[in-house]
Amino acid sequence: MGKLKQNPIIKQLGFNRIILFLVMLFIYLIFCVLIPNFLGLSHVMSMLNYVCFLGFLALGVTFVIATGGIDFSIGPVMFCCALISGYTLNQHGVPMAAALVICILVGTLFGGFNGYMVAYWDVPPFIISMASMNIAKGLASVYTKTTTVSWPQSADPGGWFRNFLKVGNVPVGLIIFLIAAVVCSVILNNTKPGRYILGLGSNREAVRLSGVNTKKWEMIAYIICGTLAGIAAIFFAAAYSTVQPGYGDQYNNEAIAACVMGGTSMIGGLASIGGTVIGTLIIALIQEGILAMKLTKDVQLIITAIIVIAAVYIDVSARRRKN
Amino acid sequence: MGEVILEMKQIDKSFPGVHALDHVDFNVRRGEVHALMGENGAGKSTLMKVLTGIYKKDSGSIIYEGKETEFHNAKEAQDAGVIIVHQELNMVGDLTVAQNIFLGREPRKGLGIDDKKMIKDSRELFDHLKIEIDPMEKMSDLTVGKQQMCEIAKAISHDAKVIIFDEPSAALTEKEIEDLFIIIRDLKKRQLGIVYISHRMDEIKQITDRVTVMRDGTYIGTLMTKESTKDEIINMMVGRIIYEDPKQQSACPPDAPIVLKVENLNAGKMVKNVSFELRKGEILGFSGLMGAGRTETARALFGADPKQSGTIYINGEKVDIKSPQDAVKYGIGYLSEDRKRYGVVVGRSVAENTTMACLDNYLKGFLINKRAEKNVSDEYIKRLATKTPNSEELVMNLSGGNQQKVVIAKWLARDCDILIFDEPTRGIDVGAKNEIYKLMNQLVSEGKSIIMISSEMTEILRMSDRIVVMCEGEIKGEIDISEATSENIMDKATRNIS
Ligand SMILES: Nc1ncnc2c1ncn2[C@@H]1O[C@H](COP(=O)(O)OP(=O)(O)OP(=O)(O)O)[C@@H](O)[C@H]1O
Ligand SMILES: [Mg+2]
Repeated sequence: MGKLKQNPIIKQLGFNRIILFLVMLFIYLIFCVLIPNFLGLSHVMSMLNYVCFLGFLALGVTFVIATGGIDFSIGPVMFCCALISGYTLNQHGVPMAAALVICILVGTLFGGFNGYMVAYWDVPPFIISMASMNIAKGLASVYTKTTTVSWPQSADPGGWFRNFLKVGNVPVGLIIFLIAAVVCSVILNNTKPGRYILGLGSNREAVRLSGVNTKKWEMIAYIICGTLAGIAAIFFAAAYSTVQPGYGDQYNNEAIAACVMGGTSMIGGLASIGGTVIGTLIIALIQEGILAMKLTKDVQLIITAIIVIAAVYIDVSARRRKN
Repeated sequence: MGEVILEMKQIDKSFPGVHALDHVDFNVRRGEVHALMGENGAGKSTLMKVLTGIYKKDSGSIIYEGKETEFHNAKEAQDAGVIIVHQELNMVGDLTVAQNIFLGREPRKGLGIDDKKMIKDSRELFDHLKIEIDPMEKMSDLTVGKQQMCEIAKAISHDAKVIIFDEPSAALTEKEIEDLFIIIRDLKKRQLGIVYISHRMDEIKQITDRVTVMRDGTYIGTLMTKESTKDEIINMMVGRIIYEDPKQQSACPPDAPIVLKVENLNAGKMVKNVSFELRKGEILGFSGLMGAGRTETARALFGADPKQSGTIYINGEKVDIKSPQDAVKYGIGYLSEDRKRYGVVVGRSVAENTTMACLDNYLKGFLINKRAEKNVSDEYIKRLATKTPNSEELVMNLSGGNQQKVVIAKWLARDCDILIFDEPTRGIDVGAKNEIYKLMNQLVSEGKSIIMISSEMTEILRMSDRIVVMCEGEIKGEIDISEATSENIMDKATRNIS
């Protein structure tokens, strides 16, 4: 086992990533055996709907967790983005392109708010993101007067935005998500923001004393997270059309689960985008499998929770062994 | 010296890419102080971690009190009476001193913890050891030296038969070292076996009975301290003899331009009206006892802590330094005394740490030029003889002294004009220490200026062109190197204490 880990190819890909990938295949196989027709196109396509929006949430929160922080607001923020922009689209007749920009901007603003509070006011991320979660829900309700917002169908004017998700049976959304993941990975590992985000997650004081503006970079992590939540909202709207105010909490947990499962450490300083991608696929797989088995959503919640606990436990105990 | 209480035979241990221990033998007798010496990365800490069950050995045997034993974790070793005081501090900063000392074995009272007893017992322990620390104080408020004394007190409070001190003196003042030696002599009298790791030759001569030397993970030999000379030991360690000559006179011309001028700096409780000047090409030594306010002065100057008042001029121009960022922009670098907390980012690689302060020089558009980064990092690994498998290695896997070299590399890579070195050779072996001295002399000859804070008198006398002595937050005097002696420095450093 130790030798295997030293193999350069395996080292490059990451031993844990490979294990996780095998776990994913294993789960897939089980579902294929249990559920007739699980390999069929309809299941795959519906799974991809889920992967796209959840994937963007998970990519974003990876940056925040890398700083040693946490963001529990991304799910409701995603809903808030889709609601505000969708309502503006329907009621005020702005063009679709403008609505999409608004959608992303709302996410960016929330990210900026969270980041500013955490970095400059020293509010614990846990607290501020809980507050933001409620602000996001409240704001969306007030703005939409607590009505459900429906985004245009493909045939409607402005329905072109659905092409981001898929064109016929071509999973455009998945391709965009994978490209975004590559970009995120490059940002995290090969650029200044990524370097400082990981560094400050590992030892903030040492990075600050190297003459780095740690507050700024920490805030940027949250801004990236918020912006990606705004993008996630577009994919959510494209996949599910209607958005209802007051929901979204569940997706925080799933995104965080995907991220932690992928090997990003809750303590900060260690993150893997590849892991987050595989983690997202696993969560989407489980959700689809459970729905296909005609179990309720609640079962899925329980299973996700168990996965989070297991992933965090493995993360913490690996760390303990190291010390 | 009594019979052998602990024997390690043919201990072998590898980490990925590093053969840290290559069939090493080592033993400890009752009532002896046994020095373990060797260069940075020789494997001293690793050997002791294998002994105390923190690392699992690959092969070899450990015989403790006549029985073959293997401890599976530090707790097991502790319960059996083998206690280690680690090189890196392991205290929980947010807890009080007493809570730290009784961590994991808190006295109970009903369902809760008996705080009163804990505090009382800690106080007794400190009294017994004649250490002045308030058990109710928060750990993170203590100086590094005091924290180290707490670690030592904690170790002694266990019912120990063997105590391992891994570079205990690195963070201590001369006075605290004296106290430590009194404690160690007492332990020795009580027939404990003691392992003492240090890079300071004079301490080895003073306190130890035998010396075992390691090099590159192998056992070189064991000598009786009394029958061996300093040169002999150094020779075993590094295979060459290093000469340390104190500076006779200042190498900096008296009319060299003033690069840094500090006027009436006040910050926190420990920096009172500090004023001094630093010339181009000068090494300005800051001497004084630990807690004299030298580190606090440096931190305030560097913008790491807020200042209340004071003016700073760089090259004659008044500057406003509010944060480390400003300081770095004005060409100041600060090498902290507490490397684990303020120096290295242990969870990241050597290369990343090296370019941490000058990342902008290694950007190609948006991207980091990893090739250039690796090159510069490799260059400093070579120049400072840092022991690491490669520049990708996480800093946490390096030995203590080699971590220090990574911090030095960080500031050298930044190419600052003014460098503040706070205890630059803490935990660095004799060979590397000399390399760092050479490097400092080379830096000043290139026209850089250095403020060197050091608690080691020999270091102050050897390196400084001029010496500033601090005591209780104030500057008590300035001595040119040609007139400096350890007596007149100590005299100033302790003037209002006695
Ligand atoms: N957990 C680890 N993983 C990988 N390598 C390690 C680990 N711990 C130690 N090493 C390596 O083993 C070697 C011996 O390290 P060790 O800490 O024992 O040195 P040391 O003699 O205590 O040095 P110093 O005087 O600098 O404290 C070093 O090359 C170090 O990089
Ligand atoms: Mg060591």
